[in-house]
Amino acid sequence: MNIHQNPDLLDRLAGAFALGTLRGGARRRFEALARQHAPVRVAALIWQTRIASLNELQPPHAPPPAAWRRIDNLLKAEAEAAQMQQARSRAAAPTPPGSVAVGWLRSLRLWRGMTAAGALATVVVTVVGLNLRDQMGGEIQQLQAKLLNTPQIEYVAVLSDNKSTASMLVTFDPKSKRLTLQRVGSYQEASSQSLQLWALPPSGGPKSLGVLGSEKVLRLTAGENDVKAIPALAISLEPKGGVPSEGGPTGPVLFKGALIQKAV
Amino acid sequence: MNTESVDAELITLLDRVANKDHQALKALYDCCSPQLYGLAIRVVGNREWAEDVLQEAVLTIWRAAGDYRSSLSPPMAWMGLIVRSRALDFLRRRKSEGSQVTQELDDTLAQSLPGDAPNPMDHAQASEQARALHHCLGQLDHGPREVVSLAYIRDLSHSDLARQLKLPLGTVKTWIRRGLDQLRLCMTRFA
Repeated sequence: MNIHQNPDLLDRLAGAFALGTLRGGARRRFEALARQHAPVRVAALIWQTRIASLNELQPPHAPPPAAWRRIDNLLKAEAEAAQMQQARSRAAAPTPPGSVAVGWLRSLRLWRGMTAAGALATVVVTVVGLNLRDQMGGEIQQLQAKLLNTPQIEYVAVLSDNKSTASMLVTFDPKSKRLTLQRVGSYQEASSQSLQLWALPPSGGPKSLGVLGSEKVLRLTAGENDVKAIPALAISLEPKGGVPSEGGPTGPVLFKGALIQKAV
Repeated sequence: MNTESVDAELITLLDRVANKDHQALKALYDCCSPQLYGLAIRVVGNREWAEDVLQEAVLTIWRAAGDYRSSLSPPMAWMGLIVRSRALDFLRRRKSEGSQVTQELDDTLAQSLPGDAPNPMDHAQASEQARALHHCLGQLDHGPREVVSLAYIRDLSHSDLARQLKLPLGTVKTWIRRGLDQLRLCMTRFA
């Protein structure tokens, strides 16, 4: 059948193709013909633009004012995180080379890359935050509300796994020297193992900030100097009880993310 | 205002949005969001979901505005395509999560059928092509018009339409064929 020589039939098929009611084998045959014959392609494109005008003809509805506020907040968070990221990469730049020595965990380049990845993950987490709210119940929402309402919390980090799934929320209150970790994902280490929190300074190796218990919310004590100027945090999987800080992590890094100082 | 100058204004806004101009996005939102939200409601069938879709679509427009110039589409047509595709993605996601999408659609479709008159042309930003289609749709009977419109807007097959609108499959097929034929004759006059 030569549909491209039968204008009426061609037009009919192109209309059904564009509308989406031409399905299955008939649709595949039409698509194959369109790839072969320009006139078929043209008819399909004309109909696609015609039919797509239906999008413009639906009854309008004014969205609620909150809809714009949500969009605006997301965009602002995105812009702030991008600025933060820029500031951090400037701050990280003048680190002297040479400390590139012991093992992959000590590699500066890796940590720097990770910092960038972490900051990026934070952006992603912020952006998908609204979608996550369903899955994680009120936890994140509550914590976010708390973050906004509690002026003492000056540092925030969302630690994510390599799929950018938020797994741990970390906040630091320099006044009470309190580091608070909240598990938000479903990850649970085996009973013979512990999670250990590390600060990743711009130079030198990671520094242990403490070992996590199995509780959902964990509080550690840390001085502001331990946290200040730290671009990122990471959590590694270690033998039960953790490992000494000097040796650095021995197990795999499970979660990481940028540490952001809240702009007041 | 005529279509051409409205289009020119929207295109200027899209250019500014491509340069990450926040105020331009707000201006674009202020003039187009009722249209886009209305479309989202029509695809997903409820306002709450449509709000999520609108949000995703506006973020997509914010990121993709730089590509607008290469699309050759009128601005509202371009934004409409983004909203529809985000909305259909949304429904697919709901479906794969096992939600009762069809159940909720049933209710809204039942509501959408009784109304008869074609929508008044209150779409100040609509493209020339959309105005032509609106005119031609206005010449169809209510049934074929609604079925043609829903087939595209919700990406439904003949049998989906028959099931959801509780109509015999033969009727749906006839209405679609007749509707498309009439549109075809009418639209060629605008080509």
